[in-house]
Amino acid sequence: MTAAASTTATKPARRGWAFLAPTILPGFGTAFGFTLAYLCLIVLIPLGHMALRAADVGWDRFWAITLAPRVLHAFFVSFGCALAAALINAVFGLVVAWVLVRYRFPGRRLIDAMVDLPFALPTSVAGIALTAIYAPNGWIGALAKAAGFKIAFTPLGIVIALVFVGMPFIVRTVEPVLQDLDAEVEEAAASLGATRWQTFTKVLLPTILPALITGVALAFARGVGEYGSVIFIAGNIPAVSEIVPLLIVARLEQYDYAGATVIATAMMGVSFLMLLGINFLQRWTRSRHAR
Amino acid sequence: MPAEPHSRRPAVGEGPMMRLALIGLAILFLAAFLALPLVAVFSQALAKGVGAFLKGLADPDALSAVRLTLTVAAIAVPLNLVFGVAASWAIAKFNFRGKSLLLALIDLPFSVSPVISGLVYVLLFGLHGSFGPWLRDHGVQIIFAVPGVVMATVFVTFPFVARELIPLMQEQGVEDEEAAIVLGASGWQTFRLVTLPNIRWGLLYGVLLCNARAMGEFGAVSVVSGHIRGKTNTMPLHVEILYNEYNFVAAFAVASLLALLALVTLAAKAALEWRFADQIAAAKR
Amino acid sequence: MAIEIRNVEKTFGAFTALGGVSLDVRSGELLALLGPSGSGKTTLLRIIAGLDHADAGEVSFDGQDTRDRAARDRKVGFVFQHYALFRHMTVFDNVAFGLRVKKKAERPAEMDIRRRVDQLLTMVQLSHLATRYPSQLSGGQRQRVALARALAIEPKVLLLDEPFGALDAKVRKDLRKWLRHLHDDMHITSIFVTHDQEEALELADRVVVMNHGQIIQVGTPAEVYDHPADSFVFDFLGGVNRLNGVIEAGVARLDGKAVRVDGAVGADGPAVIYVRPHQVELGVAPAEGVPEGKWSARVSSLHAAGPVARLELDLAGRALEAQLSRDRLSDLALEVGSWCTVDFRHARVFPAKS
Repeated sequence: MTAAASTTATKPARRGWAFLAPTILPGFGTAFGFTLAYLCLIVLIPLGHMALRAADVGWDRFWAITLAPRVLHAFFVSFGCALAAALINAVFGLVVAWVLVRYRFPGRRLIDAMVDLPFALPTSVAGIALTAIYAPNGWIGALAKAAGFKIAFTPLGIVIALVFVGMPFIVRTVEPVLQDLDAEVEEAAASLGATRWQTFTKVLLPTILPALITGVALAFARGVGEYGSVIFIAGNIPAVSEIVPLLIVARLEQYDYAGATVIATAMMGVSFLMLLGINFLQRWTRSRHAR
Repeated sequence: MPAEPHSRRPAVGEGPMMRLALIGLAILFLAAFLALPLVAVFSQALAKGVGAFLKGLADPDALSAVRLTLTVAAIAVPLNLVFGVAASWAIAKFNFRGKSLLLALIDLPFSVSPVISGLVYVLLFGLHGSFGPWLRDHGVQIIFAVPGVVMATVFVTFPFVARELIPLMQEQGVEDEEAAIVLGASGWQTFRLVTLPNIRWGLLYGVLLCNARAMGEFGAVSVVSGHIRGKTNTMPLHVEILYNEYNFVAAFAVASLLALLALVTLAAKAALEWRFADQIAAAKR
Repeated sequence: MAIEIRNVEKTFGAFTALGGVSLDVRSGELLALLGPSGSGKTTLLRIIAGLDHADAGEVSFDGQDTRDRAARDRKVGFVFQHYALFRHMTVFDNVAFGLRVKKKAERPAEMDIRRRVDQLLTMVQLSHLATRYPSQLSGGQRQRVALARALAIEPKVLLLDEPFGALDAKVRKDLRKWLRHLHDDMHITSIFVTHDQEEALELADRVVVMNHGQIIQVGTPAEVYDHPADSFVFDFLGGVNRLNGVIEAGVARLDGKAVRVDGAVGADGPAVIYVRPHQVELGVAPAEGVPEGKWSARVSSLHAAGPVARLELDLAGRALEAQLSRDRLSDLALEVGSWCTVDFRHARVFPAKS
């Protein structure tokens, strides 16, 4: 375990470029080597291989597949619903985090533990359970039916499933920031004459915002790729409630490897761009907030 | 003091009505999205009585799905545990170039759709995949077989342990380890006697989450398994098949087992947090 | 504005933070609340600001009870110990905050806000840092931003919680002088909390000494320093020698010899004689014996850096600290191990606590 590292570690510290900063701790070579090898084997090579297969398809066919109306619509549904769900979660997740951090009431600890349920519950179980509730003959679905609209088997159902899946991301990223808020800052705002609402919007929200954006980004990224909890409730009607992951599975089942690969690569590309955008937004809010 | 920072600050709290309204809103939201699905699973499973419920579970295909799920988790979790410890040792205890890139790459599986996680292996090892013909000639089957299910599960659960350990070990710094080395401990002794006791709860926590996901993964496994009853069906896949056959009671019966697993996971997590409350608080500081 | 505090009580669980405190704050004065931690001084300040509510008693501003006035309606400027600046706002926006959150009808036009903030920043000598964020400032600069922010709402009372507590010694002294000048210019009724007796004595018009949720003594710095009400105040207001003696027939005695003391002597019994180090008078020891009414002591250590020399003496087995000028020290020609006579210019005696 120590052989590789000790050679790196005992070398005199060079000025300028050095891969590893001087250290007396052993095991870097083994740990780093294993990490890199495992990462390449499990993640990087398979993903890179997929990108190569997508490139093999050729530029014209790539766009022909991606821009087909059914595919475009699936993209619209996947990203739109994920965004809607993330925004709904931004509001309710913040309320939940606020209540859990600020108030003491019976059942708080139970609720706190339950927030992680979407992390722990297999997606297919969540999918069939939500469908059972929001289908027209389900507990809530029946209420909606009486009010004249449908939840399951429409994009609304997809949003519901994605709210379920994404909720803990928001709560768990916002919670620590709320816990660390300095009570004196709120008192300062109050003593300067701010109302409770002004204190919230002008002082608290700007402080919470970076964490909230992180949470939204995580929930959004998860929502875009989500499959198990969505396919049952979505109804999967082409051009209405069909999501991109389902389209990929459908192509695979028809042995249309090229189609599946192209759609998957395009989806990763779009997700990547959006996360990049969110990252910039993040930096911008943080720079205005220089610790 | 940090336990109830706002209870002693009368000038900045919300009024009792606002408080009640917010708590009510939070509970209503969580009831609709968390409690109701859970209740639905168990009530649907028992909708036709305990007999039908048990019959759904005793089905040979269901039992074989349980076996496969346990097998897959038993392989994937230890693999990712070893990886998680190695990665967090390298990342948290050393400074090297490209560390943040490595961190981002470890997180990558979190932002990849589960379906794509399965697809990448189909493209490599499937019948029409790059190594497909070679594998077929040598009589090895990965896709639509257990090895593929294991690979896809390893991929999706890849970051869990590392993700828990890295921030924890970074927080703890290197001084303890350096002291141990200076005192003459070997690398392995240092890890076992100094590092490990400090990261125990993070390790258990990561394993818990990793295991829950490994047993519950659906999308990635669904792509590579081929849904062969009694052979490559894990429990979540079996739930889907039964559901699509309109065998709701059996579907929810198997689902209730998975829901139970989720509840046990949450309870264990809460117990861990309670048991290691002081360490968690120390790590946050 | 004058503030009257009547029988204010406050408990946190089993802990009594304030046990019936009454105090009159005069309009325009600079008042120090001085005491050790846990003495209730910060709690009293927070109750005046409306950040905490008293369990009993009342606080009135110019004769008007404040019970039903929320913190934000009190027009009290509060400077927090850790400044509590808004991290996501620039220095300018921090100072402007109190003006911008006013109700539409009372809010000055944006141009007036700018002018007012510029004025305040000039006053606290931070105009050049208006666009910086709090994280980019030093502790002393943050403190002045917090002060400017509190002054922006034209408060009738300025409350400061340990205003110099988080600063290093040099900055602390500068800022103290500066605050005194500022107060002399503006004459806002100001109360500050401190546990540093030097700060309280140097800065305040009057000092309120608190302990265990009670006010022990109120007076000018000279009054509390020269005439401490009890042994606690004597102890708390600076270095002191405590010598075990007795009171016999109304006379305080140390090793049998009478000690001249200021103030009341008290009942007979064991007693503690309090002497400040600079009130210890040293003399050249005669060749033989001890002069009448004086004590004899041996120098056990000597620190003579700076204008003042500090000596530790051994007075019949007791440690005694003395301070004298360097000139006086060289006149006496004392060294470690040499003998000298000891007398006390001023001393107080309090009965020993049983």
